[in-house]
Amino acid sequence: MPRLQSSAMPPAGTRRRTSARRLLVLLGPALAIILLLFGGGLLLGLLQALGQVPSQTLSTIGGQHFLHVLQDADFTKSLTLTLYIAITSTVIAACISVVLALGLMRWAANSRAINFLLQIPLTVPHLVIALSVILLLTPSGLFSRLFSYLSIISTPADFPLLVNDGWAIGILIVYVWKEVPFITFMLLSVLKNMGVELLEAGSTLNASRGQRFFYIILPIIAPSLGAACLIVFAFTFGAFEVPYLLGRTYPLALPVWAYKNYSDIDLLARPEGIAIGLIIAAIVILAIISSQLLLHFGRKRGLSI
Amino acid sequence: MKNTCRFFTRYLFVLLTFLAFPAFCPAEVQTRVHSWEEAVKAARGQTVDWYMWGGSPAVNQYVNGYLATELKKEYGITLRQIPVKDIAEVVSKLVVEKQAGKDSDGSVDLMWINGENFRTCKQQELLYGPFADKLPNQHLVDWANPSVKNDFGTPVEGLESPWGSAQMVMIHDSARTLEPPRSIEALLAWIKTNPGRFTYPAPPDFTGSAFVRHIFYHAAGSVDTWQGEYSQATFTKAAEATYTILRDLKKSLWRQGETYPESPVRMNALFADGEIDFSFSYHQGEASRNILDGLFPTTVRTFVFDEGTIGNTHFVAIPYNAKDTAAAMVVANFLLSPAAQLHKASPQVWGDFPAIAAARLPSPWQENFATLPRGPATLDDAELQAHQLPEPPSKILVELEKGWIEHVLKNR
Repeated sequence: MPRLQSSAMPPAGTRRRTSARRLLVLLGPALAIILLLFGGGLLLGLLQALGQVPSQTLSTIGGQHFLHVLQDADFTKSLTLTLYIAITSTVIAACISVVLALGLMRWAANSRAINFLLQIPLTVPHLVIALSVILLLTPSGLFSRLFSYLSIISTPADFPLLVNDGWAIGILIVYVWKEVPFITFMLLSVLKNMGVELLEAGSTLNASRGQRFFYIILPIIAPSLGAACLIVFAFTFGAFEVPYLLGRTYPLALPVWAYKNYSDIDLLARPEGIAIGLIIAAIVILAIISSQLLLHFGRKRGLSI
Repeated sequence: MKNTCRFFTRYLFVLLTFLAFPAFCPAEVQTRVHSWEEAVKAARGQTVDWYMWGGSPAVNQYVNGYLATELKKEYGITLRQIPVKDIAEVVSKLVVEKQAGKDSDGSVDLMWINGENFRTCKQQELLYGPFADKLPNQHLVDWANPSVKNDFGTPVEGLESPWGSAQMVMIHDSARTLEPPRSIEALLAWIKTNPGRFTYPAPPDFTGSAFVRHIFYHAAGSVDTWQGEYSQATFTKAAEATYTILRDLKKSLWRQGETYPESPVRMNALFADGEIDFSFSYHQGEASRNILDGLFPTTVRTFVFDEGTIGNTHFVAIPYNAKDTAAAMVVANFLLSPAAQLHKASPQVWGDFPAIAAARLPSPWQENFATLPRGPATLDDAELQAHQLPEPPSKILVELEKGWIEHVLKNR
């Protein structure tokens, strides 16, 4: 169905092949910047994580900082917490987004206003949402005061712990709040181009609602949904400010741990901070590669994903 | 990234220099310090590049407005503020310059510094001087005060000149807590009888770490021990006692010590919202400012412990390779002048605590400082200065922060 895929992703085999040289000229400038700034930064980071300390001319290069981090008893705790936050928030956000996108589909096709409205939350920084959650949901926040004023709870302190809590509920709320508009926006752009013809064809063939969803809509939105989820996962796994503000003092999410080490008054803790940062990057890259591989094999086996 | 790049090119340069001249030794660092008369004469027409933390609009305004104007008028010196995010960047820049043998015409003339950064500079011999004793206004400084004589345990020895100071004060709401506990002992007892009403920011936060040091002084039973030579065993014993006190305290803290505020800002919010009954600040005027800003109720007051609270002094220092040392000395002297200190202490300007002792001033100036409008919650200078404890060496500070995480937070 090339027409359907045209807007989401270019079909795997492009008919008009671009020569390698032309491709290089076209992508060259962007690639150079990415390689220099991104690759260079990673390389310098790696050097420092391996023990190259500025201002100390003699230093041993080796993996001791990585080893130290990986052997730390807190590493598993931090990794589990970070994975829990990233996966849970991605899954919840994806489910809500699919429902929301389907609900908005008809509207969004005709109305620019919906698209505009959806773009507004995208511009609000995570930090602002995190602070709003503090203002709204802490035991001294707006909701707890409102509930105690309405005598639903006896004192504001009876309000359930939703921020700095053991289940990271505050963090999940921020991420879901922030990522739902993003994923919905991605899905809507695909659904808009799908049109209603296929669904009408489906219903004339007596396909039930569920069948129409699983056999028509899901295969069409799957590439965008997957890509959006990956972006969300990668972001929530590596983001610092939300778990810093809404997390508990211990255990720490990996990015917060990295920051704490990097900003430690003891300069020798810095390489460990960078090592944790690189481990975060490695996990995210690994997640992206493995999901791409999964998709690739899925396609080979004839799934219309 | 840019800095690192620069570092690498310099590193390469040093390497090449060493390869090219096997017998290369660093040039003898110029050690002669100007006399005051020489300094004033040479300073005219010089430009002082002052590297400093640039994160406070009030400080920037004071430096670029009042100081720059006065220095130009009185001494013909151009003051140029170079704001940096962290003065540690400048210190590592100096380390690299020293390695590269750039021993004169350096770009930094003056830097705002204290604590760990000063210690690094002193150890690596990155400072010009001793110059502080050459400054005429130096007699206004009370050098007997342990928090002036030693900068976080490192003897100053004239290598930096004081500019201002800060002292920790406890904050409470007089409408809620009529009689606040006026010693660490009493505070600990208060926390246990009022569970859930006290907390402190988790170290290594600066303010939370200062609170732990107060407990450390209390547990050790001594302050002066840590200013001189002390044995590791004595420290370990005192540190263990500190962790035991704080571990026992945990269940009486806000949220049973399961989590801590991540910053003093958050602690202030908890205090203002009535979740906890005390806050504290390493800036004696912060509570008043928060009242003015409407963040705290007008009944909020501050107090110090009978045994004292920790204070520290912030200084200015001149790098060993500074270009305009004469003018830098004149600036350091002017910073200590009663007029400049008074202007700085005014709450509308900056509200920084003076580095000079009021008692050493001629009486009209004493009057000026005494009648300086201070906020409703700020204690007067005499009471603060009478209750000032020095900071322990930065080594202790770092060890306590690490130990707190290990033994109190993680309960090991």
